[in-house]
Amino acid sequence: MERIGAVESSLQFSEEIETLMTVPHESGTPSSFTALLKLPANQAMELLHDSSEKPYDYTFNCTSSSSHLHFPSNLALVERASRLSVFSTTAATPAAQDSPETTNSSQNSLKVKNEPTETDSNPNSSPVISDPMSQTQTKCQRSGKRKEREKKVKNSSKKSKSGENEKPEETEKLPYVHVRARRGQATDSHSLAERARREKINARMKLLQELVPGCNKISGTALVLDEIINHVQTLQRQVEMLSMRLAAVNPRIDFNLDSFFPGESGSLVEGNFPSMVMPLTWPEVQPIGNRQQQQQIWHFDTLHQPVWGNEGENPNFITPENSLLSYDSSANSGKMGS
Amino acid sequence: MPPSSIEKAFLKKWLKGLQALSSSSSSSTSKKEMSIFERKKAIKLSADVAMASLKNGTTSWSRALIQNASKDDNNRTLLKNMLGSQCDEKLSRGPTTTSMMCSMRVRSKRVLRRSCRWRRVRKITKDQRVHAGSMAKRLVKKRTQVLRSLVPGGEYMDEYSLFEETLDYIMSLRAQVDVMRRLANASEFSSKS
Repeated sequence: MERIGAVESSLQFSEEIETLMTVPHESGTPSSFTALLKLPANQAMELLHDSSEKPYDYTFNCTSSSSHLHFPSNLALVERASRLSVFSTTAATPAAQDSPETTNSSQNSLKVKNEPTETDSNPNSSPVISDPMSQTQTKCQRSGKRKEREKKVKNSSKKSKSGENEKPEETEKLPYVHVRARRGQATDSHSLAERARREKINARMKLLQELVPGCNKISGTALVLDEIINHVQTLQRQVEMLSMRLAAVNPRIDFNLDSFFPGESGSLVEGNFPSMVMPLTWPEVQPIGNRQQQQQIWHFDTLHQPVWGNEGENPNFITPENSLLSYDSSANSGKMGS
Repeated sequence: MPPSSIEKAFLKKWLKGLQALSSSSSSSTSKKEMSIFERKKAIKLSADVAMASLKNGTTSWSRALIQNASKDDNNRTLLKNMLGSQCDEKLSRGPTTTSMMCSMRVRSKRVLRRSCRWRRVRKITKDQRVHAGSMAKRLVKKRTQVLRSLVPGGEYMDEYSLFEETLDYIMSLRAQVDVMRRLANASEFSSKS
């Protein structure tokens, strides 16, 4: 949801930027960037660096013939330049290049575009020099303008959570979709995918926690996994033990429950343990069972009634499976039920 | 608790398989008397296969279980009877490409791990700062490995599907245990009296 909102906000920014694009064209003055700043160029440069340096006249008219362009060798600017090597023009080494906030750079990129078009109108300057100069000028200005613009940007941004995330990016390109990441988290696509994957896995873990008894109170993936493993192993061991019991109970492995039907005679298999085979012994079992144990065993009362709505079977008989499964084994079983 | 439809269906299939086993064994001369262990194996196998076949190949663990069972030639007759010939042919085609790729990946990871193990040990002894996060991750990884070994076909799955399959596997195991217990209790009781 955050990402969708981020895309929306970035789209809104692009709209704002487009409105901004029209403004400089309308003003048409060479010093349009200073017009935005609402300060003359000199004062802008003063904001930029300490007053120890001589303020240069950075209007476009001062592209006069000087092949050397001296830029303020402010340490901060140099550092910024080294951080972001977007421009590798020869004259522009100490140029102020910031790692701006995303909208800042997008707005500045437009200004960069505007400047070359306007410097073309200057016949004096050679294009090689003017371009780096204009670009570096804008870059120099940027740090000064940044403070004013930052406030503007922050007011206009819907979500300013990414105060810590500053992406170095190409400032020449048009603004692209920016994803607002949470504070202190990376924004590249790999980690986003990773995060989504982790959230899916955590959802599954929660389901497993609910399923496995006694897992709800535990926190922490490793312990929950421990419980799950324990549970699976317990169940598997139970299967083994039960199959052992069943193997021990009768000499043959086929449990012929058809023999429960009193009417049937043909399906008796030889060698079956007698009590399950002989329907004649059935009534003998019943009274003994009722006397010795107080639980309903085979639901003999229901012999003539369907038990669970036999699908398409003879309603007069309960199927052997149903009768078997109706056996309430809670008292008989020596095991603890899970 | 009244048994669910799954349990009823399971019981039917299971008994059918057991009958098939016993009829096939009674036809052969040598197998008039199976040892208790053989019986237990047969019972367990038919129970597992019955449970897995109820899934109709929708879950990965059921497919893996049946595939593992079909690897043993002794079980062919049982499987044929329980599943029907079509399923058997489908499954005997062998592992799918994804599982083969995953197994190759797993194998290569294992080889890499073994070769790097001595290097890793040295690293750990040198670097005393053990981050809690990395230790937790290692624990989780260990446990995930164990879980993979428990769930049939778990080695070929990624983490997310492993948890899904575990979920389903636990549910089926519970149903299986429930039915087997009832049958065991019933037969024990009726054999006593």
